[in-house]
Parts: sequence; structure tokens; C-alpha cells
Amino acid sequence: MEHEVKEIKKGIKFHILNSDKFKTNLFAIFLTTKLNRENVTKNALVSMLLRRGSKNMKSQEEISKKMEELYGAIFDCGLDKTGDNQVLKFYIEAINDNYLPKHDGNILNTVINSLLEIAFNPYIENEGFKKEYLEQEKNNIKQRIEGKIDNKARYSLERTIEEMYKNEPYGLYKFGYIEDLEKINEKDLYNYYIDLINNCKIDIFLSGKLDEDVEKLIEENENIKSLKERTPLFEMPKVPEKKDIEENIVTESMEVTQGKLVIGLNVNISSDEDKYTTLLYNSILGGSANSKLFQNVREKAHLAYVASSTYYRFKSIIFINSGIEISNYDKALKLIREQIEDMKKGNFTDEEIENSKKGIIAAIKTIDDEQDTGITYYFGQELANSNVSEEEYIKKIESINKEEIVDIANKVQINTIYFLKD
Amino acid sequence: MQIIENLKVKEKLYIEKLQNGLTVMIIPKPGMKKKYMIWGTNYGSNDNKFIVPGEEEVTEVPNGVAHFLEHKLFEQENGTNSLDTLTALGVNANAYTTNDHTAYLFECTDNFYEAMDELMDYVQHPYFTDENVEKEKGIIGQEIRMYDDYPDWRVYLNTLEAMYHENPIKIDITGTIETISKIDKDILYKCYNTFYHPSNMAMVIVGDFKPEELLEEVKKRLVKKEASGEIKRIYPEEKEEIVKPEIIQKLEVSNPIYTIGIKDVRKENSNNKNEIIKKHISIEILLNIIFGRSSKLYQDLYKDGIIYGEPSLDYEFGKNYAHILITGMSSNPRKMYDSFKQRVKELKNNGIDKNDFERLKKMIYGNYVREYNDVQDIARMFLSDYFKGICSFDYLEEIEGINVEYLNQVLKDVFKEEKMVLSIVENE
Repeated sequence: MEHEVKEIKKGIKFHILNSDKFKTNLFAIFLTTKLNRENVTKNALVSMLLRRGSKNMKSQEEISKKMEELYGAIFDCGLDKTGDNQVLKFYIEAINDNYLPKHDGNILNTVINSLLEIAFNPYIENEGFKKEYLEQEKNNIKQRIEGKIDNKARYSLERTIEEMYKNEPYGLYKFGYIEDLEKINEKDLYNYYIDLINNCKIDIFLSGKLDEDVEKLIEENENIKSLKERTPLFEMPKVPEKKDIEENIVTESMEVTQGKLVIGLNVNISSDEDKYTTLLYNSILGGSANSKLFQNVREKAHLAYVASSTYYRFKSIIFINSGIEISNYDKALKLIREQIEDMKKGNFTDEEIENSKKGIIAAIKTIDDEQDTGITYYFGQELANSNVSEEEYIKKIESINKEEIVDIANKVQINTIYFLKD
Repeated sequence: MQIIENLKVKEKLYIEKLQNGLTVMIIPKPGMKKKYMIWGTNYGSNDNKFIVPGEEEVTEVPNGVAHFLEHKLFEQENGTNSLDTLTALGVNANAYTTNDHTAYLFECTDNFYEAMDELMDYVQHPYFTDENVEKEKGIIGQEIRMYDDYPDWRVYLNTLEAMYHENPIKIDITGTIETISKIDKDILYKCYNTFYHPSNMAMVIVGDFKPEELLEEVKKRLVKKEASGEIKRIYPEEKEEIVKPEIIQKLEVSNPIYTIGIKDVRKENSNNKNEIIKKHISIEILLNIIFGRSSKLYQDLYKDGIIYGEPSLDYEFGKNYAHILITGMSSNPRKMYDSFKQRVKELKNNGIDKNDFERLKKMIYGNYVREYNDVQDIARMFLSDYFKGICSFDYLEEIEGINVEYLNQVLKDVFKEEKMVLSIVENE
């Protein structure tokens, strides 16, 4: 896949990923802004309101009908927490013209114009968002916030993050807080939105088989023309400061039949390069079916069906996840601690390292074969201000040796142990 | 190999039934680095009562055997586990069980043939001991408990419970802690020997391959097996009526979760493949007309705060069952249900709007095309459709022939109030 980046205006970038492997074109707009307590709920509301209607498609119904007419183009919005940023994401995925049953206009053109309008030219009444829409979306967000408890495993993870980042941006819940909703009105929120699109980092992505001059399409779009140059306000990921911490043990009760155990680990890396080694460390610890956690907690001790770990590189943290019989808490925790200690002592083989490398490299190679993965990868690079090609990425992984992994293992500290039981 | 080409998505299917009865399907994807291989048997959680070829007596096994077998097949006689071996090759390996089939698979970029060696080896060489069977009960027990905590899974199983009297579709695929306690190695061997015969199996491979060469590689790795007779599967007679109109479970959730189920008739003799596909497509279009994102029902309920997002709309069917499932979250599921029934009544009286029909037909067409983006989606779709007697390409062809009259007929035949059930999971 070819990846080209063009700065359309200061702070606004257009990324083109040209490939003929797909039946669809994927067009995406990402708005990146700093995550903070003051604005977190507002950002969530803005993201929900923009999908309710735009200048020329005044309601959700009109947007939906338009998408259906475009052979079921899929319009979706997302809200992500990436490091200390909140990212508002807008997507339309539509069939490439080559696969239509008959010639039916220029779909890509309509897709691009529609999504730019949704993101940058919302439906407005009396210099504010439509009051009715705002009230409905407040209700919707309230439900999402309350809905945190529905998936007990995800809830446990969210709680662990909250515990690890008390009073820090990353500890905020991405959909915000119910107590904020009341204070927000349609005019202030609209003014906030104007401020947001004037100052946030804007990244526009287009992936697919692109024959025409798509750059021109973007540059000549009225909604792009009216955007201002900016020095975008967002947080670059930084190497976290090493803090001496005491293990924080949290136990909570809810109606569950299975206990959910989550352990949050800090990885006190000293440079960006350490992130590649941490990725490999995590893979050996709990990233695959060959990992220490899967083998020892699940296969040998039969304590769990899920026993894994995940690495969040933007914050340099690892989460261990496991679902266990509630009475097995002590046994499982002891076993998991042993795995972490084993890693520190270097009790893993060259074969385990090689196998983990193979798994990671295979994943890197598939970046090209999935449109959304491609966009996520290049957006990650964009945020970190790095430019590592897939080949370089693979080389970095291949060159890591055991000493470096043991070194990372000794920078790992348990921050929080969270257990949800009945 | 027989070649079936589809000009709409510009893809080719190479298909061959080998002498031992195994069906092999290959879909080449030039330029893709990802490769996907899946090998399935037409044996799932529904197949608990059957007559082994050559025997007279009926065999009945505890619920959850197909899924248990799926877990245990990875175990090798030399003490290794094939999941580990495959993972060590850098491939992404997995397996899953549904109500009508069990499948073993991997996705990779490199080491395809090494992974194929391992996959074809472990699927053809079971190794069960009393000890390794006992050990698995702990792991599967935690899998069952994990599902107990998923409200979405509870609301689904309860819907089936309210619709079906006897049909095994309502059984939990994993079985229960009680039923799996009765499983031993003899039961596993018996089911393996019955259902893992090549004539009951199919394989799909998708990626950048030359199909004829790849087929030879498959043949090389097949273990010779004696021809086997037909497996007689015994399914209980199922009444057309539902069991009960409403089913409620109390669980800790933020808002009630609902599923509307509509029981459809699926008779063994209705095997006209094109009719099955046409009906399936029509139901998908109808569900979107009734409750899709652009529908009046969805817009009204959303405005009133009764629903928060679009419900998932599904039509599931197999050899001896078929039903519609509409699932979502609602602040007032009973009110939502009344509005739904009201809307269906109106549509039956007034007929389907032609514009809605044309627009949503386009949408469904687009959804089918989209399935051909990813090697995994393609492979899984072809396998699962194959076990239903369908070639996935046919959906792209049959859609054109559907018209409004046909849709109105399906609406009357399938969306009957006396066949509907409401399942709710809500707080105490």
C-alpha cells in the first residue's frame, strides 16, 4: 500500500492509502484534542450531535437514507481515548464504483462531500445546535455512562484505569460524566464546537482504489476551504516519569458468577525505542496462546478460560485480564505474580522469543490487507510524530535480544490489582 | 476443479469433491499477503442423537460434546498442543463450534504450508485420555461461567427457550457444567469417528494461491479413510407454535436488554435452494424497512428515548429451524414491542413502499459485496453457507429477482403475531 501525506493547511493533514485489494473505499476524519475534565463530556456530546444532522441532511433519517442509496455506505462515529487525547472519529465506507451492478453516479465524490459536511457543517438553529437533538443525546450519553456495568470484564478494566490514573486525564471516562450534562446548553456547546474545529488536530484519511485526483476533491471542498490554519492543541505521547508506587489493591462486589481479575502494570521505559521491546515482553507474558499466562494459568492450572495481557503503548502500561472462580483469587494472583517474577529473572527461552517475534511480524504484515488497520497504524504514527515503515518496524522487532527483554521486565511494576466478585 | 465465477464481485471459486468425499473450495486473492484456511465438519451442538453408520441402535450423547471435541482436538499424543505449535509458527489459529458445524482454522502471512501440516495433522489424529478430558472440564467450566455474566447471551438463549419446545437449537453450545461432567473419552471418540469423516467435512482456503497446485498439497496430507455410510441424525418433532410469548430474566444491567424472536417454519422438504436464499434476502430487506436506521419506527422510538441505538437485525436458519431475532437496549421494552407490532400491522395493511424497497435492496447488495474484502469473512461465509447447501455467490445473483410483491408475501407469511416472543433481561 502506498501511503502519502499532504498538509492541506497548517494543522490539517490528508493521508492517502492507495490499494486495489479492496471492494470498498474508506474515508475517515479524525479530530484530536486534549483530554481534560472540563471538556470530556462536551466532546462526547459533540460527537453524538454531529451524526444527528448537517446543513443539507437535516436529520439522522436523511443521512441514513442517503447512505442506503449509496449501496449501503456505512456511516459511523467513534470516540476514542488515545494517550492523553480524545479523538472524535467519523467514517464512511462505501462500495468502490467497480463493483456496482450498474453505473450509478460517482459514489466516492458523494461520500467525501457528505462526511466533510457532517463533521464541519452541522445542522444549526438560532446559532446553536438543535435543542431537541441535544436533549436526546444527553439522554443517550447518560445511558452509555450507566451502561458501563453491562459488560463486567470491560467494566473491571475501566475501573482499573480509573484507579491507576486518579486525578489524571487518562483516568477520565471517554463518554464523560452525568453531572456535567445539566450545565450544557445548545448555544454554549455550539460555541465550544467552533472552538474545537478551529484548534484541534485534523487528520483526513482515504483508503481504497483511487483513480481520480482525490487531492483536488478535498482541496476544493467548500467545508475544507472554510477551515482555518492552526497550531493544533493535542498531547504528544511522552515517556512517562518513573514513579515509586505502592500496590493498590481494590476489591468490589457486583452480581457476577465469575470473578474478574485485572492487574494494571506500569512499564517504566526510558526511551521510545523501549516500546518495541515492551511489545515483545507483553507477547511472551500474555499476548498469545504460547504465553506464560495462557500456558500456566489456563492450560496447566485450569483456573481460567481467559488469561491474557494487553499493552497500551501510548501510556506504557500493560493490563492482565482473567476470569476466574471467585474462591480461586489467591491461587490465581500468586500464579500471575510468579509469571511476572519469572520474566524478571529471565526464565524464558530463545524459542519463546522467536515465536513471539513471528506473531508480531505477521501482524505487522497484515496492516496492508485491512483498510481500518492501515488507517489506525498511520494515525498512530502521526500522533507519535514518527515515520516508521512496516519494513523498519519488522527490523526493529527482529533485532531485539533477551537481555533487552529482561531489562524491560525489571522495569515492570504492579500498580493496581482489581478484583470484581459477587 | 470446477470454476464458478462471479462477475459482480469479480471473484472465482474453485471447487472439488475428492474421492474420499471431502469438498475443497479455494478462492484466490492475488496480491493479498493474508492467507486463511478453515476446515469444518457438519457437526454441531444440535447433533446429540444419531445412528452411527453400520449400527442399528440410536446413540444419544450429553449436551456440549461437539464443543468439547473442538477443545480437545488440539491435544497431540506426543504431549504437544497444536494451538501452541501453530502459534509458534506466527500464525493466528483458532476453532469454533456452532449449532450445525465445528471449524478449525488459521490465518497467516508466512509459514502457510507448515501450518497446514499441523492443522491437517491434528484434525485427523485425535488423542483423548481420561486425564486430558478431566482437565478440560475446568477450562470449559470457566468459559460457561463467562457466558453466564453476558446479558446479551442470556437474552438470546432465553428467546430460543420461549420459541422452541424440543428443537436442540435452544441448547447452549457449550453444554452446562452438569452435562459436560458426563463426557468421557469414549463418547468423544465415538462422536469423532462418526462425524469427522471426510464425506461429512468441507475445507475453504482463501489467499494468493494457484488452486490446482494447492489442491495437490491438500490431497498429500489426507489420511486414507474407509468409505462410510450416511449418518442418520435424529431431531425431535417441533410444533409450529411458540412455547410462551414472554420470558424475563433478572440481572444487573443499566437498562433492559430485549430480543424480539419470530419463529419461522423450516421444513426438511423445503430444499429449493433459490427459494431459501430469496426468502433470506427478503427478510433482511424487510427487517430494515421495519426497524432499520432510516425507518419511521426507529426514528420515533429514538426521539422518545425508548431506544438508544439501532437494534441488531438477524435471520438465522438451519436444516430444521428458522427464526428472526431483533436485539437491542430499551428503557421500555414492552412499549417498544407494542410499537413494533403496530408497525408490522400497518405495513401489512398498506403494503411496502416502493422507494423504501429499492433503496434498501441497494443497501443489502452493498452489504454482500463488502463481505469480499477480507480473507476471513470470505472463508467463513463459504463454509457456513456450504453446510446449508448454499453457494455464497448466489446471494449476489438472487437479489435482482426480488420484487415488492414477493416482499409483501414474505411479510404476511413470516411476521405473524402469534409466532412472536419477547425476551427481556432487566434489573430486579
